Amino acid sequence: MRVFLLSLLACAAAQTVLLDPLSVGGVRPDCFLLLVLCSSPRVRPELATIQGFCIGLCQDALSGGPLGLKAFTYSLLGFLTALLSHDLFTDKPLAQFWLLLVGAASAGALSFLLLSFFMGLAPLLPALWVIVPETLYTAVVGFLLLRLPWVRATLARAT
Amino acid sequence: MSILWRLLTKYRRAVILAVALVMAFLLMTLQVRHDRAVVSFTRQAVLFLMSPVIKVTAVTVGSVSRVWGDYVDLRNLREESLRLTREAAVLQRRISHLEEQALETQRLQGLLAMKEFSRAEFLAARVVGKDATNWFKTVLIDRGSLAGIRRNLPVVAPDGLVGRVVEVTPTAAKVQLITDPVSAAGGLIQRTRVTGIVSGSLGSGLKVRYLPLMADIVIGDEVVTSGMGGVFPKGIPLGRVIAAERRSGALFQEATLAPKVDLSRLEEVLILMGTESRDGFETGGVRQP
Repeated sequence: MRVFLLSLLACAAAQTVLLDPLSVGGVRPDCFLLLVLCSSPRVRPELATIQGFCIGLCQDALSGGPLGLKAFTYSLLGFLTALLSHDLFTDKPLAQFWLLLVGAASAGALSFLLLSFFMGLAPLLPALWVIVPETLYTAVVGFLLLRLPWVRATLARAT
Repeated sequence: MSILWRLLTKYRRAVILAVALVMAFLLMTLQVRHDRAVVSFTRQAVLFLMSPVIKVTAVTVGSVSRVWGDYVDLRNLREESLRLTREAAVLQRRISHLEEQALETQRLQGLLAMKEFSRAEFLAARVVGKDATNWFKTVLIDRGSLAGIRRNLPVVAPDGLVGRVVEVTPTAAKVQLITDPVSAAGGLIQRTRVTGIVSGSLGSGLKVRYLPLMADIVIGDEVVTSGMGGVFPKGIPLGRVIAAERRSGALFQEATLAPKVDLSRLEEVLILMGTESRDGFETGGVRQP
């Protein structure tokens, strides 16, 4: 619990302040999404759902989007990731990268669908200019983070 | 009762997921229906808890980057002789410090000039955080309701309009930038006095929509706020037209703007506190009565 709360605070600080210099064309990796994807496989689906909801709610509060958008997305993503963790969990780097890519793309697509439903926001093409770079960037950063020994140790401790 | 409890326990995964999804869905629905009480409370509570961490991080990062800058400068100078290194290090530090001071003075002079130019009351604030997603464009500033900030106050920089305050906590506030996809402001082409709606869009900057088909729009036209809508005062620079588009069959034409303010490098902003001066910002052209 303590590790989760600290990670959430760290994510908030990183996403709003620290990652700004890493922005490429206005797109930054999504730390909150990485937290969902990395923490969910290590807990039960019900806890992953609650964690996903809290992470999403924080991101929503710190963004200009509607409150509940990311909470919905990450609740579902956390639940599915935890539920399928036995089948998906792997230490193979390439497989990890693909899983991160699929997770990030799913989150982007779901956010887009919800935004279109609630706000009639954008045609698909401009949205792809956000979804695709964000997915790739997040997956690459997540992949690199998972190579760091202390990140692995922290995740293992949080299990 | 016990049967219900047993069922809830048995299907707790599905129940928790359903509750989370329904809650999130409800929050979004409430927002769309402009029922802001619950949403605003939740948002402000999270912001209130998170903003101190963000502020501390911003201050720490600023200090560390200054120290790191000094360190890098020193490393470069070590390649020279010891005497020159000492001398250059001192001078370099002094220059960096003065340059930083000069840049800050320049920015603050710009803000001050704007403040003096207008009769309206301003409040200066520092930008401490950016939007947590790549979908929306907002920034967090270090002043909140304790400093008198409230929702919908316009936020400006020396070059033009930045956006408006959308969320306020006692010590911080969130500003929706004009490039945000859900932001909109009344715009006025300064040369021809044609009005339209200036709104942000996903990834492609500012657009002026609903311009009459026959309106004379040329590349380079300056666009300022029109004052319609009651949020932004008239005459604050918004941007310059970089492309105009007339689609066949469309009822209106559309123009793309380059924003006046470099919104990716905002450090300080001014919040327009008073609303008495609604015509004091126009930088050129004919001022309308």
